[in-house]
Amino acid sequence: MTTEEVISKLGLNSLSKFEHREVVGVFVSDMLSDVMAGAKSGNLWVTVQTHKSIIPAANLVDVSAVIITGGKKVPQETIDLATQHDIAILVTELPTFELVGKLYALGVVTQ
Amino acid sequence: MIQKILGATVIEGEDRLDADVDFVYASDLMSDVLAFGKPNSALLTGLATQQAVISAHMAEFKGVVFIRGKRPKDGAEKFARENNLVMLTTDLDMYDACVKIDSIDGKSGSGAQRGAILPKREDILLNQEFHVEGSDFAKAGMASTQVKSMLKKIGVDPKLVRRVAISTFEGEMNVVMHAVRATIFLVITPKFIEVIIDDEGKGIPDVALAMESGFTTATEEMRAMGFGSGMGLPNIKKNTDEVNVTSEIGIGTRVWMKFLVNDHNADEGEEN
Repeated sequence: MTTEEVISKLGLNSLSKFEHREVVGVFVSDMLSDVMAGAKSGNLWVTVQTHKSIIPAANLVDVSAVIITGGKKVPQETIDLATQHDIAILVTELPTFELVGKLYALGVVTQ
Repeated sequence: MIQKILGATVIEGEDRLDADVDFVYASDLMSDVLAFGKPNSALLTGLATQQAVISAHMAEFKGVVFIRGKRPKDGAEKFARENNLVMLTTDLDMYDACVKIDSIDGKSGSGAQRGAILPKREDILLNQEFHVEGSDFAKAGMASTQVKSMLKKIGVDPKLVRRVAISTFEGEMNVVMHAVRATIFLVITPKFIEVIIDDEGKGIPDVALAMESGFTTATEEMRAMGFGSGMGLPNIKKNTDEVNVTSEIGIGTRVWMKFLVNDHNADEGEEN
């Protein structure tokens, strides 16, 4: 599955500019160290964090996209930095639990 | 001679280019220049400040060559002019510049050594410093991002890049959370990569405890941002081949990490 399909199937909004890529599994966490330790290259990263430091973290572990849940407002500087590093910032009004349920139904599971 | 072989641009001292140079000394640490530099040398450095020129003068050098096209912006030119030093800048990096000069006559000086932690000058492919300010959450992670893109650019194995990047990120976050400021040294050789994070700050009272998973002194505010889950040093330990943390209360902490190149057995950093 690609980021393009995930966006259309879950009705996500993309905030940054990025190239679509293959999605491999999903990682859910709001603690950066947890993401650094556990997320794998190509994972979707589901979080409620919106501050700028999530971009270096996303970039370093090479996630395929960051999905920000709960309809959180993402600061413009986070979006700009994401565009600069070709990182997808996707947002949804759904809370994490519901979004993860939908991802699971789509067959995107932790690998 | 040096100007020609490096294809360097003259910043100062056009009329003194024929000065005889006996040795070339390559270093970014000025105390090393003062300690080991021999008179009548040329200094090859990435430190583009007046301090480099002053140190060269103190060590009775004939001139300074700045690498990677760097030019000091402070009063270096004036100082060089007043003290009869030649100032050049070359687009080459430290390694290439050293190799080119070595190829002239092999009369290079003793290598650049930062204390006992750096390998011989000729083995260093890249030697870079980054500065990190404490409490600057807006820039947190920028240095490690730069480290990652540098390693990627020179073609380091992606798994190794990831381990270095993750460890550097954790170290950088620790500086942002707990220290006043720090310098991150990145040293790349064909056999290993070293990252040294030297901070000025309050220090760690019990290093062994800090190395334990989940131990944290982060504030509520930091934790709300997703930092400070007490996984930083454990994450570093997991992703490095060797790590050493030394700390002095009220002075600061040094985290030294070593990653072996081409050692697949040591690849504990998870990957797909």
